[in-house]
Amino acid sequence: MISQSQRITIWTLVWIALLTLSLPTIVVLGASFTSGNIIAFPPDGLSLKWYAKLAMARDLQQAFLRSLVVSLICTAVALPVGTLAGLALSRFRLRYEGAIQVYLLLPFTVPLIGSGIGLMLVFGEWRVLGSLWPVGVACAVINLPFIVWSVSSSAVLLDPDLELAAQSCGAGRVQTFLHVTLPAVMPGVITGSLLMFILAMNEFLVSLLLTDARTVTLPVQIYNSIRSIITPDLAAVSVVFILIALLAIWLLDKLVGLEVFLKSK
Amino acid sequence: MNMPAAQPADGERHAAVLVRDVDMDFGNGPLAVQSASFSLEAGRFLTILGPSGSGKTTLLRMIAGFQKPSRGQILIGGKASDAVAPHKRTIGMVFQKLALFPHMTVNENVAFPLKMRRFNPKDIPERVARYLDLVRLGGYGTRRIHELSGGQQQRVAIARALVFEPDLLLLDEPLAALDRKLREEMQLEFRRIQKELGVTTINVTHDQREALVVSDEIIVMDQGRIQQHADPVAMYRKPASPFVANFIGVSSFLKGEVTETGLSVNGFSCAGTLPRNMSLGSVAQGAIRAEQIRISATAADLASCDTTLQGTVTDTIFEGERLLYFVAVPGLATALQIYHHDPLGHAPHDRGAAVTIGWNARDLLIFPPQNM
Repeated sequence: MISQSQRITIWTLVWIALLTLSLPTIVVLGASFTSGNIIAFPPDGLSLKWYAKLAMARDLQQAFLRSLVVSLICTAVALPVGTLAGLALSRFRLRYEGAIQVYLLLPFTVPLIGSGIGLMLVFGEWRVLGSLWPVGVACAVINLPFIVWSVSSSAVLLDPDLELAAQSCGAGRVQTFLHVTLPAVMPGVITGSLLMFILAMNEFLVSLLLTDARTVTLPVQIYNSIRSIITPDLAAVSVVFILIALLAIWLLDKLVGLEVFLKSK
Repeated sequence: MNMPAAQPADGERHAAVLVRDVDMDFGNGPLAVQSASFSLEAGRFLTILGPSGSGKTTLLRMIAGFQKPSRGQILIGGKASDAVAPHKRTIGMVFQKLALFPHMTVNENVAFPLKMRRFNPKDIPERVARYLDLVRLGGYGTRRIHELSGGQQQRVAIARALVFEPDLLLLDEPLAALDRKLREEMQLEFRRIQKELGVTTINVTHDQREALVVSDEIIVMDQGRIQQHADPVAMYRKPASPFVANFIGVSSFLKGEVTETGLSVNGFSCAGTLPRNMSLGSVAQGAIRAEQIRISATAADLASCDTTLQGTVTDTIFEGERLLYFVAVPGLATALQIYHHDPLGHAPHDRGAAVTIGWNARDLLIFPPQNM
């Protein structure tokens, strides 16, 4: 049994934690509805004028579209690579498995500025800077461990004999992969893909290094705006970001179930 | 090893499964399977029984075609098993952890082999329903796998393995994880279904009771070698080696010198059944089943026994339908284990009680020394 004083302590801690976690969101949300001209909380009157301004701001919109494209490219690249790597690492006994695992973790251990500059040099050498796809590829490279982990953690839960069972049912290798292995790890694949999408959407440092005036993504565009003047439209942009994240979580819950996602990490 | 031939050599030509001189070498120590040979007639239910690490699962996986023997030959229906890719064989298998497809419903799991084997799509639903009825899961077709109990999942796995009417059914210890009541229920189910369909079946288990209950024939394996191949009654009554006597049923072991009538153990004359060609005075081991030893407080009750010994009860274990006594006889190295069925419910002999034990010569089996 929990005593009264324990109950009070626990709930106090829970509320402090919840408040700390959600405070920035609440503040930004409030600030975005201000009718004043400076970013402030509590908002100075209520209006939707900054959202209206957002709807008019072509540079922000285009940056947002570019970010969407980058996220889609990143997901498209990471999906097959991460899924196959995750499956290989967890379903097969590989030679040099340890080394491969460390290699796939490298993007985590190398500071982003390091990999960012590295990628910038490589893409610069190839003369492809200035287009959007290198940014997407770069995001896929640096965030790859997330999808690999997500798929592996889904795959290790499977019965080790699952593929043999499919074979004994008469399925060849390709059929086994398409009908059994892939669908069985689908929760991990979907989780990983949504993570990759959101991470690419938010990626700032690497985008900053790889984009120029023609290809700025949304985080970079916001950063550029902050450097001149902080106006409440940035709060409104942040709210849009938060909405996208919520949409991803909603999708995850619909497609996989949040329970599975939380357990897999 | 003296291995009684399971059937005459010309029977091999009609064997559903023929395993000939098969070795499996994983390259890390002793052979996992060594010189395994046996044949199995169509429609029979064979259980390969052995402790963990005895090579029984390896042997089964070679028969399934998942592993290639290092040496020897496996013929299934007269055809070399490695000539056919695993997915082209007509072998149904129930796996240790079942390996059901988690993302499919019960219907989809059972229909999967039919789809992969290109059965006429029009016939599939009817056939799936028929096999779900066979395993008594009618009406469960739309459930998801994780919504089923352990026993129901077993039944799905059986239906999936049988639905395409394989020539051979392989069971890789699928019952090991179940609790005892459910396991015994499923053993009877396996037996019923196997008899109903008449499908040749090879089952692998470490559960000697399961082997006795479900099988037409049993193979006992130890350390990669086949120890004995016999029907359950012969396996129980005439174990070929002390290992088999110890692995199936409860036996006590006596080691002594061979005499005209049995063994002389530390000066005690123990009447027993001798194999042929035992030289007098050589050291041999004998085994006697716990239920073949009689126990009584008064020596007069056991006057009909060929051998009687005086001892002391060192432990009494109540097992419900019977009692298990441990009786120490001064001069014998180990306590003898004795089952006592007492339908009249007399008070058991207490620990420390002086008792007389006895047996008949035919029940103490003496093994040739090469089997020690």
